This record gives sequence, C-alpha cells and structure tokens, in this order.
Amino acid sequence: MGRVVGIDLGTTFSLIAYMDAQTGAPKCIEGPHGSALCPSIVSVDADGKILVGEPARLRLLTQPDRTIYSVKRLMGRGVADIQSELAIFPFRVDDASGDTIRVRLGDKLFTPPEVSAHILRELKTWAENYFKEPVERAVITVPAYFNDAQRQATKDAGRLAGLEVLRLVNEPTAAALAYGLHKQKRGRVAVYDFGGGTFDISILKLISTDEGEIYQVLATNGDTHLGGDDIDNAMMGIARAGIQKALGVELDSRGEAIQGLRKDLIRAKHDLSTAEKAEVKFAAAGKTAALEFTRADFEDLIRPIVARTMQPVKLALADAKLTPAEIDEVVLVGGSTRIPLVRKTVGDYFGRAPHCELDPDQVVALGAAVQADILETGVKTMLLLDVTPLSLGIETMGGVVAKIIPRNSTIPASAQELFTTGVENQTGIDVHVLQGERELAKDCRSLARFQLKVPPGPAGLARIEVKFLIDANGILQVAARDMRAGTEQTIEVQPSYGLSDTEIERILEESIDHAEEDLAERQLIEARTEADTILLATGKTSGDPRAQELSGEERASIRESAAQLRAAMAGTDYKLIRKRIDELNEVTMHLAEILMNSTLAAAVQGKRLEDV
Amino acid sequence: MPIARQREDRAEHAEGLKCWACKAPASGSHFCGVCGKIQPLPPGMDYFEFFGLPQKLSMDAGSFEGQFHKLSWKLHPDNFVRATEFERNLSLERSSELNDAYRTLKDPIARVEYLLLKLGLRKEGTSKQQAPPELLEEVFELNESLDELRDARSAGGDVAGLRGRLEAAAANFQQKLGDVDAELAAVGKEWDAALDARADDAKKQALLARMNEVLNRRSYIRNLVAGVQKELAEA
Repeated sequence: MGRVVGIDLGTTFSLIAYMDAQTGAPKCIEGPHGSALCPSIVSVDADGKILVGEPARLRLLTQPDRTIYSVKRLMGRGVADIQSELAIFPFRVDDASGDTIRVRLGDKLFTPPEVSAHILRELKTWAENYFKEPVERAVITVPAYFNDAQRQATKDAGRLAGLEVLRLVNEPTAAALAYGLHKQKRGRVAVYDFGGGTFDISILKLISTDEGEIYQVLATNGDTHLGGDDIDNAMMGIARAGIQKALGVELDSRGEAIQGLRKDLIRAKHDLSTAEKAEVKFAAAGKTAALEFTRADFEDLIRPIVARTMQPVKLALADAKLTPAEIDEVVLVGGSTRIPLVRKTVGDYFGRAPHCELDPDQVVALGAAVQADILETGVKTMLLLDVTPLSLGIETMGGVVAKIIPRNSTIPASAQELFTTGVENQTGIDVHVLQGERELAKDCRSLARFQLKVPPGPAGLARIEVKFLIDANGILQVAARDMRAGTEQTIEVQPSYGLSDTEIERILEESIDHAEEDLAERQLIEARTEADTILLATGKTSGDPRAQELSGEERASIRESAAQLRAAMAGTDYKLIRKRIDELNEVTMHLAEILMNSTLAAAVQGKRLEDV
Repeated sequence: MPIARQREDRAEHAEGLKCWACKAPASGSHFCGVCGKIQPLPPGMDYFEFFGLPQKLSMDAGSFEGQFHKLSWKLHPDNFVRATEFERNLSLERSSELNDAYRTLKDPIARVEYLLLKLGLRKEGTSKQQAPPELLEEVFELNESLDELRDARSAGGDVAGLRGRLEAAAANFQQKLGDVDAELAAVGKEWDAALDARADDAKKQALLARMNEVLNRRSYIRNLVAGVQKELAEA
C-alpha cells in the first residue's frame, strides 16, 4: 500500500509531513540536511542532473542561470500575466514559449508544473528514505485564493512527480486543522496566512457535531502574488540605490552578485524580527558599502505591503457577514507573520492577540498530513467544508459575465445552464468559462473554452444542458447533455492556461527515461530496509548465550561482515548492499542453526513435558 | 445563448426506483435502506425535498444548519476516496446538490426566488425593470439628482450639496428595501399557512403572484440603491 503524506508546496520552502500512528499527531520529516524545510529551489547541472533544495540554493549564487526559485508564482499563469514579475524576478522565460510559460535552466526548458514536480519528487524521496517504503499518495496544499488554473497546475505537478493527489487542500484551512487538533478550539477563527509569495485570509467556523468536528470555511480572500518576496524586492530596491550611491555600481538584475545581495538582505529581514537594526555589506570594484536598516526604516518600507493584506481581510469578513470583534481566535501562518509589524497590525485590527504557538512554517504541512490520514484510513474524526474563492461565470452577449456559482460557495458546488441556438442551422454553441468578480469577461480569468455540438435545425430548438461542477479540490469539471436526444456529450475543454492532458502524457513518457533512475532509488530503499532488519537480528542473536557455541573465528567473521554491510549501506549502490546482505546471511548460517535447533529442542521438550 | 429552464412539476420522483447495488426498492433518500449504498439523485428532486423539508418559506436557521452539517458528514467526497468511480461520482453529485441547496435555501430572498422558479412563476435571472407606479415620483427626482451630480462633476458645481441630497435619497430607498423585505416575509407566512390549511390552487396562485410582484419591486429598488452608491463612490 505504501505511505500517505501531506505536502506544503510553498513559494520559498516546501515541507512533507505524515501522521504518526504512535503519538496520533502529525509530524514533519527532515531531509538529509537536518531540516524539515526544503528550499523550493531547483537547479540543473551541466550533465542535466537535477538538484533540489539546499544544494540548489547554494548554486543560486554560483549558477543563477541554471537555478530557479519562487516558481510557485508562475503556476497556472500565461506569459502575458507575468510581464510585471519578470522585471523583479530573474525568471528566464523562453521567448518561443507562446502563451505557455517555459523557463530555461541551462540548455533545458521546463514548464512550471515540471519544476514543481522536481520539488515534490525530492520531498517524496525524503519520506521514502524515512519510512523505507514507497510513498505514492499525497494531499498537497495550495493558497486558498488560487484559481482553477493554478490548482490544476499543482495537481499536474503531483502527477508528474509520480504521486496520486488525493486532495488539494487550502493552506489556511490545513493550518486551522492543525491548530484545532492542537488546541481543541471552537467558534469563529480567522486564519491570516502570509507566506513567501502568497497571502490568504480565511474565516472559519469550528462546529462540534455528534459525529465529529466540522471546519466550515465561511469566506476566503487573498492575493496570490503578495508575500515575503515582495518585502525582499522592496529591500532590494533600497539596497541597489544605496550601492549605486556609495560605489557607483549598477547591479545586473540577473547576475550572480545580486543573488548574494538578496541572500544577505533576507538574513537582515529575519534579524529585524528580533533586532533593532541589521547591516548588509556589499563589495564591488575594490570598495565596500555598508547598508544599515533600522527596525523603523524597515517598517516604513513594508507598511504599504502589510496594508495590502488588510483589504482582503475586510472583504472576507464582509462576505462572512462578521465584524472583527465577532472573531473568537486569530491564527497566524506563514514565515512573514514572524515580522513584528505584521503581528501588531493583525492584532490591532481584530482587537486580540493572535495565536502563533505552532511553527508558522510547519503548520500547513501538519494539517495536510491530518487530512491525508483521514482520506487514506477512512477513519473520519473531522470534516473540512471549504469554499471556492472566486465566482464562476460564463460569457454572455456583449462580453458580460453571468455568474453561475458565487464566490465563497461551499464545494463541491454546481450550476446547470441550458443553451440553445440563436440562428437557423447553427451547428455549434461556443461557451467561454471564466473566474473572477468583475463584470466583463475581459477583466476575469479565462478558464476554458469549448463548443457544444448541435444538429442542424431551426433556431432555438436545441436544448443542451451543461453542468458546471467545482469539485472538492476547487477544480472545474464540465459535462453536457443534449436534452432532446437524451444523450451525453463529451466536451473537449481547451484549458486557457496550463498543460493539456496530451502534454502531461508526453512529459510522463519522457520521464520514463528517468524511470531507471527511480527504480534504482526504490531498490536502494528496499535493500537498506532489508539490511537494517538483518543487522538488528544479528545484533540480538550475537548477544544470546547460546552464541557461545560459535568459534572465535566464526564470531570475528560475523563482526567483519556486519561492518562491511554497514559500510555498503552508507553508499548508494544497492547491488553492493544486496551482496553484503548475502554474505552476512552466509556467515550467520551456523549461528542460526544453533538457535533454531535449541529452540526446536525446547519446543519439543515442552511438548513432552506436557504429555507426561 | 443560455435560456431559462422549463417548469418542472414536483412529483413522486421516487416511484419505481430501485437501488443500483442491491435492487431493493429505493425511497429516493440519500442511501439505500437495505445495503446502505449512496443513491443517484432522483430526477427533478427539488432543494426542499433534498433536505426533507416542505415547500415552506419560514425555517428554523439552527436546525437547517444542523441538517446541513449532518448531511455533509455523510455525503462529502471525503467518505468515498476509496470507493468505486461510480460511487465517487454519486457522492460528487449529491454533495454538490447539498451545497447548492444550502446556499439557496439559507438566504430568505433566494429561497423565495427558488420556490417561484420551481413553481413556474419566475424565470431564472429575469426580473422586471419597470419602476413600480407608487415610486415613480421619487425615482424621477433621484434620476434628476444623479444627472445634476454628473454635470456638476464635469462642469464644476456644488458636488458636496448634491452628494448630501443623494445620500439622503439612497437612505430613503434603503429604508424602503427594509419595508419590502418585511412585506415579503409577511406574504411568506401567509403562504406557509395556506399550505398548512391545504388551501386551494387559486389561493396559492394568488399568493405566489404577490410574492413575485414584491420580489420584482425589491430587485428594482436594490438596483437603484446600488446605482446611487456607485455614483457616489465615483464622485
């Protein structure tokens, strides 16, 4: 069956967690570098080998043209959408991409879901090394305010990483779940989630029923392009101006120097959460500039960014028909909520001290692990009722959008629309599906276009019923039915952004090239697990008094073989591990016989005694 | 182009239905009474029926929420992650219907609109945009003030004074909106009483027609208030 995990696929960091059966509490898994935080950074080396996380972060400084960070900002978006970000982020978007984003890392092109898939794959490996068994199913979290295309892109990334995505869960909802478990909270809760690249606010009601706890989201709002990244970029603006003034150097926005500066600025930002001032040194052309940030400077700089988070907060409360005073608890999630100004702003607005007992970096992954466990085991102790963040509509005459599923509807949600022809012998009806709150189609997010087929006939005779359904992942499904003929109609939905099914198939096929590598990885895990078992057994039996029957020579060769197996386990050659296991098995054969015989003898004797 | 849905008669949808799994006679309820499997939605079942409620307009918010949570617990796709694709789809169908019904019925205005839609008195997304006769004079004045405001903004006039007048007018119409809501609630009570008394069709049709008229008036006034607020926000 394998294990099931919860994954927080973040802008800056990603985490993987599981439900610990022993403690009944969710737990994050640490990677090889001793941290549960995997930097969401991917790098491709000259041989085409992919590095993820900490090693990729180091290469951000040395090989910026082969390394990408904050790829979450590109998920589910088109080339036209990201022009303003290209000025700030060193994304190398290939010109020949058309409207599908493809970023260049060295001499290879990747779509954002492919880059994210590498991050997911890395986390999956962490978990497989930890459990020593395969991990095949996961719950992945997304910002609550992600639209359909962004959700679909995340789901695609999971599929490309070889994971069955059991459910996409909204990040603030996952956090609420972890907090609810932690504190047994009741009442109305506001989750303020300010991460590396996205901001979400969700208002929930926690209800105890006879069956169990229900977490009902009343309203959600946010900004999928507002986060700690923006704070870094604001600091970068000040720093570049300072460097220009002190050293007369204009920094190349895609160069290596700027990545080093960026790293130092982020450290300064972290320091300013506790210190009153922080300094960043920058050397160029034989001179060094010292840039000083005081807490007050920093707060003035980020005040407009923090203020931008409060508009969605007000809108979410208005949609939930609540006032700030009616909120019982406020929960802070995401690394950016470590900033004192953020805590103060949120606390002042709600008139109560926000909760931050759980690690704001880990809480989302922990909640995802809880939900994954519920879905996998079928033992339901709680239920999440989430909402769709944006209204779903269809384009009508004059480019006006008719809303068919309002925002903040509990999902799954659906709407039926009946379509007919406007002119005689019309053979198709074009349907354009959009997401957003604006009145005109051009101001909303285009999700998909498709054409309904109609048999030729007089105008207005056709009756095609289309069912639009937003599933529990917040992803749109469309089905059509010809009411006159009584037949289902299959619809070829062309997504406006993102990968088509054919493209995903192609990428998956290409990744079979890597399957050999993956297989080797799995075999390595299995070999190590087996080695662990045999070493444990050898250790136990060697201490058994009956082992004294062995000769000194035999005991020495067992010790020698065990040491060699341990040495092989430290490497990655699974064939060598297997060979050493066989060797150890061989030299312990006599020991096993001795133990077996005496056990057997005891058993037989026991029987006789009983018979007597 | 989308068109309005045809009237559907509320009927005994469950008649002749059988459980898809064990073939036991099905009552139209969410799960088979014999084998416990989730059942398809009977065609034409309305939102009231889905919740096991009569087609009445007053309802107890607390018990309605409670029923919503109970049904969510049973029908949500979380329960069917490991079930067959067929059952997963049934859960998706039932739980989306549950949420659609919840969204519609919990809002008193949407509830009346839905009832009228189901009983064939109203078409989806339509409402008469004619000014109710008793409001004609006030609407006329309001439109004049709006014109003046636009002129004042482009030509430079007494924007502040006009703003005050418009705000007062908007407050006046807001007040009327409250009155209309009260009127709608009163007719709703009459409707519930008529159902209890098994009143004849003529009486019920008359009540439905009144509700329809009140709803149209309401939607007219609401658009008016929204329009004025938009102008004021821009001024």
